Amino acid sequence: MPIDKTSEFIESVRQQIRWKKAQPVVIEEVENHIADQKNAFIQDGLNEDKALDKAIKEMGDPIVVGEQFNSIHKPKPDWAILLLISSLFILGILIQLYLFRNNDLSSNNIYGQLLGILIGIPIFFIAYLFDFTIIGKYPKIIFSFLFILNVYYIIEGNRVNGAITDTIYPLLLFPTVYAGLVYSMRNKGYIGIFICSVAFLIPASIAFVSPSMSTLLLLYISCLTILTAAVVKGWFKVKKLLGLLFIYLPTLFAFISLVYYFTIFSYRGERIKIFFLNDKSMGGVNWITTQIHTLLSNSKIIGTGSPIGQETIQIAESMPAIHTDFILTYSVYNFGWIVFAGILLLFAALIIRGFIITAKQKSVLGYLTSLSIITTMMVQCIIYIFANLGLMIFTPLSFPLLSYGGKYLVVNMFLLGLLLSVFRTGDYVRDKKGILVGIVPFIQYDNGTIHINLKSKTTK
Amino acid sequence: MAIDKSLLTGGTTMLLLKLLEQEDMYGYQMIEELKKKSKNVFELKAGTLYPLLHTMEKKGFVNSYDEEANNSRIRKYYSITKAGKQALQDKKDEWQIYAATINDIIGGVSFAY
Repeated sequence: MPIDKTSEFIESVRQQIRWKKAQPVVIEEVENHIADQKNAFIQDGLNEDKALDKAIKEMGDPIVVGEQFNSIHKPKPDWAILLLISSLFILGILIQLYLFRNNDLSSNNIYGQLLGILIGIPIFFIAYLFDFTIIGKYPKIIFSFLFILNVYYIIEGNRVNGAITDTIYPLLLFPTVYAGLVYSMRNKGYIGIFICSVAFLIPASIAFVSPSMSTLLLLYISCLTILTAAVVKGWFKVKKLLGLLFIYLPTLFAFISLVYYFTIFSYRGERIKIFFLNDKSMGGVNWITTQIHTLLSNSKIIGTGSPIGQETIQIAESMPAIHTDFILTYSVYNFGWIVFAGILLLFAALIIRGFIITAKQKSVLGYLTSLSIITTMMVQCIIYIFANLGLMIFTPLSFPLLSYGGKYLVVNMFLLGLLLSVFRTGDYVRDKKGILVGIVPFIQYDNGTIHINLKSKTTK
Repeated sequence: MAIDKSLLTGGTTMLLLKLLEQEDMYGYQMIEELKKKSKNVFELKAGTLYPLLHTMEKKGFVNSYDEEANNSRIRKYYSITKAGKQALQDKKDEWQIYAATINDIIGGVSFAY
């Protein structure tokens, strides 16, 4: 006699489902059903053994059932997003090629980009096949690894005009790791939120000392979004409103002081003024903004813009690093606003579709991970678009897939591959279980004493 | 009463959607409800039900979510979506025409005017 007829049946079903990731979810449901059916038969008066036999018989042929499950549960990519990514990727290559062909840039540069493409494509597919739940299992290890890498870059990395440039690439991965870290703080109460807030300060300070204020802004928005989403989802098991206040009061204070600092005491204030006043004075940092204004005001809706000035200079020479930082301005002038609108539309579609599928994620891990990737993409885009339209409060990082920069391309391809990985397997990912016992209030008044509960004990 | 199975398969989706239109249910519950409502005519096998539910979920007609049962077992509940409600309406209309036509031909009483 087999000790467990259920497992025998389940095993036969399982063997038919080829995609391993789908097995646990399907199996759990079938197991539950057999148990329910068996209990019903016992209530009808059958003994345990007979009830089980009958319950299993009711299920039908395990091979046939398993085969049906197998044909339903197959890994499928999200074709719409894959198509949008490929379009942007190809468009990026075309624009870069055009730019290099028509402008006298150093020929070394194109090999850097080519290398980025050659590494980026396999990285994209590796990330796509990567089991993203590892982010939720080992966030601290990955976090530490990225931190050490950054410390190394700060000490040994390249410097351009005194700024450390290499830290940006690992920092772009931080929001995603941060999603894993927040995930690992389930039911940890205010202590959990506090740890996450402190953890945010680590990448933030790296961005600050690098210094890259654009990266700081990106980290700020992405991590805040993740933390907010987690609190709203009840992940920390704290009262939502209090939890949000706990996050937003300190961050708001920090944000206001930063904004104040930068608008009053630095060149950023100047840049905003230039944008709004349309001041044509050509000095210092204003020069780039003025150049952008000149290019854009001479652009057409379709086709190349009207010639600027008397001398026919190469457009790429009119501004430094146009292929890196101002590829959109360049495209507007060279191909017309219509191309700009097209690019924006593609990217907006990618982000909106991304948000829609993110909202449908069944696991909090999948939800937070894809949210982190989408915000990382979105903030890069927004900073870039603003800068390219002449409002350069923040220096552009990159326009994902489009602007020049091999390392940026590789990092963004990795993140987008990971996003597709979440969308491919997200339906089959379950969060680790934790059972709610009750919410402990943050502040309790009891017999003349005030208790502040930093940890709401809720799991068993 | 035994009914030819092929007549049922097309309608099963409709019946399940109808059940879910009233309340969210888990698989076993659906089988029981269907049995009760049809006075034991429709005895849906679990081996048919779950693949069908999973297909409906892929099509976006239903959503599933986990809920803890009292014995701390996790139960998978299904709920109908907007698209599911639309599909139910379409299938109902289709069925009325089908039933009316069959009745016309075999000479029964048509209940769909």
